[in-house]
Amino acid sequence: MVRAIKGSLIKCDPSIKALIVDIDSKRHDIIIEELDDTNLLVSTDKIQFIKAELERILSKNAYNAMEAEEAEKQK
Amino acid sequence: MARVAGALQQSLSLEHNDSDFSSDTSDTSFDSDDTKNPRQKKAKAVSKSFQKIKPQSGFVPDAVSKIFNGTDFSYLKLRPDHVSRPIWIYEAVDKIIIILESFSPLAEQAQDFLITIAEPVSRPSHVHEYRITLHSLYAAVSVGLETEDIIVVLNRFSKVPIADSIINFIRAATKSIGKVKLVLKHNRYFVESPQADILRMLLQDPIIGKLKIDSKDSIKNGDSEQSQNASTTTNGQNNNPSSSNDPNERLLNSVVGETKDAGNGIEDEQDDDNDDDFDKVHSFEIAVESVEDVKRRCLDIDYPVLEEYDFRNDSINANLDIGLKASTKVRPYQEKSLSKMFGNGRARSGIIVLPCGAGKTLVGITAACTIKKSVVVLCTSSVSAVQWRDQFLQWCTIHPDNVSVFTSDSKEIFKGDAGLVVSTYSMVANTRNRSHQSQKVMDFLTSREWGFIILDEVHVVPAEMFRRVITTIKAHAKLGLTATLVREDNKIGDLNFLIGPKLYEANWMDLAQKGHIAKVQCAEVWCPMTSEFYQEYLRQNARKKMLLYVMNPTKFQACQFLIHYHEKRGDKIIVFSDNVYALREYALKLEKHFICGDTPQHERLDILKNFQLNENVNTIFLSKVGDTSIDLPEATCLIQISSHYGSRRQEAQRLGRILRAKRRNDEGFNAFFYSLVSKDTQEMYYSTKRQAFLVDQGYAFKVITHLNGMESLPNLAYSSAKERRELLQDILLKNEELANLEEGDDADDVIGRSANAAKKRRNKAKRTAGSLASHAGGEDMAYVEHGRNRNKELREHSSLMQKLYYKK
Repeated sequence: MVRAIKGSLIKCDPSIKALIVDIDSKRHDIIIEELDDTNLLVSTDKIQFIKAELERILSKNAYNAMEAEEAEKQK
Repeated sequence: MARVAGALQQSLSLEHNDSDFSSDTSDTSFDSDDTKNPRQKKAKAVSKSFQKIKPQSGFVPDAVSKIFNGTDFSYLKLRPDHVSRPIWIYEAVDKIIIILESFSPLAEQAQDFLITIAEPVSRPSHVHEYRITLHSLYAAVSVGLETEDIIVVLNRFSKVPIADSIINFIRAATKSIGKVKLVLKHNRYFVESPQADILRMLLQDPIIGKLKIDSKDSIKNGDSEQSQNASTTTNGQNNNPSSSNDPNERLLNSVVGETKDAGNGIEDEQDDDNDDDFDKVHSFEIAVESVEDVKRRCLDIDYPVLEEYDFRNDSINANLDIGLKASTKVRPYQEKSLSKMFGNGRARSGIIVLPCGAGKTLVGITAACTIKKSVVVLCTSSVSAVQWRDQFLQWCTIHPDNVSVFTSDSKEIFKGDAGLVVSTYSMVANTRNRSHQSQKVMDFLTSREWGFIILDEVHVVPAEMFRRVITTIKAHAKLGLTATLVREDNKIGDLNFLIGPKLYEANWMDLAQKGHIAKVQCAEVWCPMTSEFYQEYLRQNARKKMLLYVMNPTKFQACQFLIHYHEKRGDKIIVFSDNVYALREYALKLEKHFICGDTPQHERLDILKNFQLNENVNTIFLSKVGDTSIDLPEATCLIQISSHYGSRRQEAQRLGRILRAKRRNDEGFNAFFYSLVSKDTQEMYYSTKRQAFLVDQGYAFKVITHLNGMESLPNLAYSSAKERRELLQDILLKNEELANLEEGDDADDVIGRSANAAKKRRNKAKRTAGSLASHAGGEDMAYVEHGRNRNKELREHSSLMQKLYYKK
């Protein structure tokens, strides 16, 4: 019997895809299907979580001069 | 109502100042008529009743105020003619910040003025930021600006009325500057002041008072009693500061002794020579070691000491016959920087900041030619010591006999009374045992007074070493030279006490505009990680991560594409990589030459020669060894594939490699600086941080997310998934040690490190089997001492070779 699962298609850079796969590897409830390098099918209700998680991880790679200055001051 | 009145009152006090200004300093090129507004004059009487209202009273926080972090100035009232005025001025938490609109027609005048009274923080193309600090005001006052002039001119430039708190700050800061002087006489330091009460105040200071030392025992005995006397008297007089100084002076004479009557014959003589117009100068002596403490304390209590050297009237130290050759041309900005140093005919200590390739050496030489006394030059390596010496002989008329070099392989003392000594920081600061010869030179250095000391590349020297250098060599005036006054460890502030304020900082963009340094297009190329690489990246530890983002195949392709593109344009390209493994991989794959720390001398020389002359060699790969001091004026394009974390200085130094480009004056010429960054990795963070310094200098980094035509490049490396997987496998198998950056010329501790490295190599212990008897000396044994002097081997080589050798 055919079973249908509802999901959302995510189109992204290969690196972001890798990130999402990495997030998924710890919980296994996000990705429904890895389509190719830039396309992913994920469960719709996890979209917000994915966004937040990506934001958190990627912001570590961004340098913010203002924040750096404040951090310096606190030292 | 209160808000309006507050603003009104400010604009009025302004108006008043404006008119003062036009009459006092009419020689300024400024036109003062544009602000006369009769309506405001009428309101003067009204505002009188609101005198007590503070300017901040107009501040009503609204919904978005908190975003501005206490710098919401929306309440400030703009002046009616604000459009034609170029600056905003406001007080942030602990500093005064000035924002300059550099597109305003008055910007150039404003800039000239601001560079005198404030420190440039950031100078991109349209809006500049300056900061007024105690140091900058100190520098301003010492070049002869009056407090009121500063306030008045600021007022004229400002779009908004200047807050009282700012005016008060400037008044308070400048009031006491110049009242206290630190003078070096006969190898002893004296704190001098023309006003007795100030000196007494210093003596009563809990810190400075203790640091005073007495030149004569007889004074010492009576001293403690009398100073107590004095202190009680002053306390009484504090309420009436305007009273005549005479009684104070009499008291003070008994405490510290007036210089003239101190009974010290030598001092007498000095005084007569110098200050005939100064009737009385009071002074007390402090120990050499406590000079820095005194300076720091004086700054804390808002009496910064002025260190000036009246070299024209110094007859004690012999004159040095030195002058610029007629053929030597000093560029306008070099002259400007020197005018800051010799503002009133005396030499001031301080730091001059000029970009790489803008002629720092010549500034130093010209300063030495102005002072005409014995000079010490300290630089970071013995190679640059030799360069300094050559430059001196090239640009000025000093006799070669008067020049001597004091490094590990040359220990000379000049002939005659006055001369020039070029040495390195490590030579002078060395605390370990010295050879007899170098001890002799060192004794010579410490035993006499020097007119002038030039400190090259001041930003690299650890503060401790500096302290030692400055306390051992006694010089009247100190000049620090650097291109990048930034340190990642924030120890730049220390230089203020050790040398002096920043006297001048050149505007990079301005120099590029005028053709003194090359114009550079900066770009940050974002190279997406392939998904295989990124998956590994997420899994690996920090070191492997680094290897992965450096070896990112997309980055490799971008590098290949850029090299191809620029070689076709006829550019000469340098590719920088801190990571030696990546350097090797890239260079071998692209069949280019590379130089890293392990490259032998003759090979380096060969490669560099070829790069300069051979039309077929247009690209070389350099590791960290090429960051500084390799001069390749042919290079016009620079690609950076891996770098030393977030070091702003490295970025600036690397840029410096192409600022000297030979072709810089060709029409429409641009040099190119590419920084290749792997997207979504740590590298993005470092890259932005590294750029901060150059961005502040006005360089704009374009972000390139896609290189057009990269995919269609013939022979593109790693274009198939299989090749990429193989590369990934290769990297994963590699030892993570490969991720280490090459030990090299990261100047943070360039001196300490090279010495340690040499030591490590030599002191390696060896374990061998031996009999008990042999340890006890029962067997035959002979000792041979291997005192190889490696520097001597170098002598016969060319200067370029030496330069390279030392960078190793």
